[in-house]
Amino acid sequence: MKQVTIFLVAIALLLAGKSPAGAETTLEKIARTGVLTIGTRTGSPPFAYINQKNEWVGFSIELVEQLVLPPLAKKAGKPVKLEKKESAPPTRIPLLSSNAVDLIAETMTDTRSRRDSVDFSLTFFVTGAQFLVKKGSPIKGIKNIGGKRVAAQQGSTNARIIRERAPKAQLREFPDQPAAFQALAQGQVDGYTNDGIQLAGLKAKAPKPGAWDIVGEFYSYEPYGMALRKGDSDFRAVVNNGLMEGIDSGRFFEIYEKWFGPKGEVPYPMAPDVKKFMIYQSVPK
Amino acid sequence: MNYQFDWSVLWTGQSGQWLLQGLVTTLEISALAWLLAGALGVLSGALRTAPWAPLRAVAAFYVEFFRNVPLLVWMFFWYFGVPPLLPKPFQDWLYDHGAEFWAGTLALGVYHGARFSEVIRSGIQAIPKTQFEAALSTGLTTMQAYRFVIIPVALRLIIPPVTSESLNLLKNSSLALTISVAELTFQTRQIETYTAKAFEALTAGTVIYLLLCLAIAGVMARVERRCAIPGMIARAAPAEH
Amino acid sequence: MVEFQRVNKWYGSLHVLREISLRIEQGEVVVVCGPSGSGKSTLIRCVNGLEPIQSGEIVVGGKRLSDPSLDMTALRAEIGFVFQQFNLYPHLSVMENIVLAPLKVKKAPRPEAEKIARRLLERVGIPDKASAYPANLSGGQQQRVAIARALAMQPKIMLFDEPTSALDPEMISEVLEVMTDLAKDGMTMVVVTHEMGFARRVAHRVLFMDEGQIVEEGDPQRFFDSPASPRTKQFLSKILSH
Repeated sequence: MKQVTIFLVAIALLLAGKSPAGAETTLEKIARTGVLTIGTRTGSPPFAYINQKNEWVGFSIELVEQLVLPPLAKKAGKPVKLEKKESAPPTRIPLLSSNAVDLIAETMTDTRSRRDSVDFSLTFFVTGAQFLVKKGSPIKGIKNIGGKRVAAQQGSTNARIIRERAPKAQLREFPDQPAAFQALAQGQVDGYTNDGIQLAGLKAKAPKPGAWDIVGEFYSYEPYGMALRKGDSDFRAVVNNGLMEGIDSGRFFEIYEKWFGPKGEVPYPMAPDVKKFMIYQSVPK
Repeated sequence: MNYQFDWSVLWTGQSGQWLLQGLVTTLEISALAWLLAGALGVLSGALRTAPWAPLRAVAAFYVEFFRNVPLLVWMFFWYFGVPPLLPKPFQDWLYDHGAEFWAGTLALGVYHGARFSEVIRSGIQAIPKTQFEAALSTGLTTMQAYRFVIIPVALRLIIPPVTSESLNLLKNSSLALTISVAELTFQTRQIETYTAKAFEALTAGTVIYLLLCLAIAGVMARVERRCAIPGMIARAAPAEH
Repeated sequence: MVEFQRVNKWYGSLHVLREISLRIEQGEVVVVCGPSGSGKSTLIRCVNGLEPIQSGEIVVGGKRLSDPSLDMTALRAEIGFVFQQFNLYPHLSVMENIVLAPLKVKKAPRPEAEKIARRLLERVGIPDKASAYPANLSGGQQQRVAIARALAMQPKIMLFDEPTSALDPEMISEVLEVMTDLAKDGMTMVVVTHEMGFARRVAHRVLFMDEGQIVEEGDPQRFFDSPASPRTKQFLSKILSH
């Protein structure tokens, strides 16, 4: 019933959003209030999570703080404060549409169907779906999961691809990572599929990281982007310019290194072609 | 507000089929869990009024234990907690044959059985004790007195509260999505995944739940009228004289 | 037929039956009267074991109630009990009320049970109510069904616990008539009632109880015309002055 509650709240916000204030653009609203509200996760390390010191931090959040806030403040002509609200796959688009948040910065894959409802920033992270299995498992990738029980996260693009490309696999979909991992650890499922980076984070945090293998080539392409309200191109330009500035100055890569470097929360070195892709995203001034 | 509604996502592609599958699963799990909850509820509700203290204690333990722990915990308990206690080959067989569905059914049925139990107990206790004595006095055993007199009357008295508990059960079946049961709410989320149209998908789900609940309430109102004891329950048809 | 041997019963610290000793013979009609709280209802409820006793012994039809091997259910089947509040089963028709115990306890075939039930309804004067439901009947009719229900088990003794107290005055006589007929047919009856007219006409013996004791007993004529105990006199004067 949680969904329904969220839904009703969203509806209420939606109706509230029809007030005259709803007519202003996101940039006007930020200039008026001095606040940028983002929707983000609490349990998706290292992108957005609550750390052991009880701080709400992560790669996605830091990108906003370091690269998006300064140009916003410049545009607004006054300091802009960052406010965070929790979002989840089923709620993030309603949160955005209802003006409850202005930007989704978490682990949201940019897809064409999502672009029907929202706009996306530049891609700030690239990963693809793989499988987490017990060491020595016969599962080697998406080609040999027929008949096997495979866990995926509800609402993820991975589940969708498995359903289409490996219809013989027995798909089990869990609402969150802990439940899916529990099912894998206990043998309810033979493998757990998610974006490689998520699996790397899970493996790094597992009681015995050595007992698990991440297998298979990327069978999906998961470019993470920040989501914005559709048609708000001025705001999107500010966000994108901020990201491009960061890529040009190298600040973007420093932040990446902080979270994904050898000493980072989840070691996940940036592949050379991904780095090239990031650089190519930054268009000339 | 620049969200553009596109209701066609509900009938284009596979959405309609998914909603239908979700509806069927919701009805299946709810119906099975309802039968289980009904059986457990009648049994333990009757035991809670039994003339022998140890029986009452067993029933009271069941009720308090199961209804005072959140249903979500029971979902995990039956899915993650119980199967490892079974022999390994049986575990694997179960995991290949809908362990999620059965765990969800048990969680829902056992939890709501405890809640039904309270409703049934209060129904039984609403019947004067002398009614039971009258049954005993004609030579019926305690079991027979319950079976032919106390429980049939109690069941009629409790139709309204049982209706609302049954609706709760139906709505709570959505929690089974936490253990990967592809019921209605699960499927509405899936539509959201595929189409990114959360409002439309959730609205469809909400409307279907609402219609289901209204249908059940309607059926139960009919049952109530049909089972009404002439002259005894307010909503009964006028008594003949 | 029924014998009380120094029976004591307490509700907690309340001593409701004190050293009751009593014999009721087969075919005898005994009326028990007394003020409310005197223990008269408790007395007859002990006979079919609805109330346990703490000391003494009750013997019914030669069977001791304290005997652990006693089949209480079988014994109850032989004792008819009529309650103040009728206690018909509200969800069953009059016919089903009457045949339930014969069908389930005696395993009687349904046609036979129904035949007996119809005869009994005839006997209590409401042959046309077989398919009615209790709530559709008047109090007097309900009580007559309750009597028929008890008789359907062909009991050896009938106990009546204030059978007319819950009735409107105009319905009392129809119930008493049925009871009078029953007595004439030789049924052993113990009747707790305030209907002194009935006691005088029908009873072989009248008991007066007060504070858990049998204060006085005797045949109706002597009991009403020359009671010995001042407590009986006081009670009778109150109840007869109405």
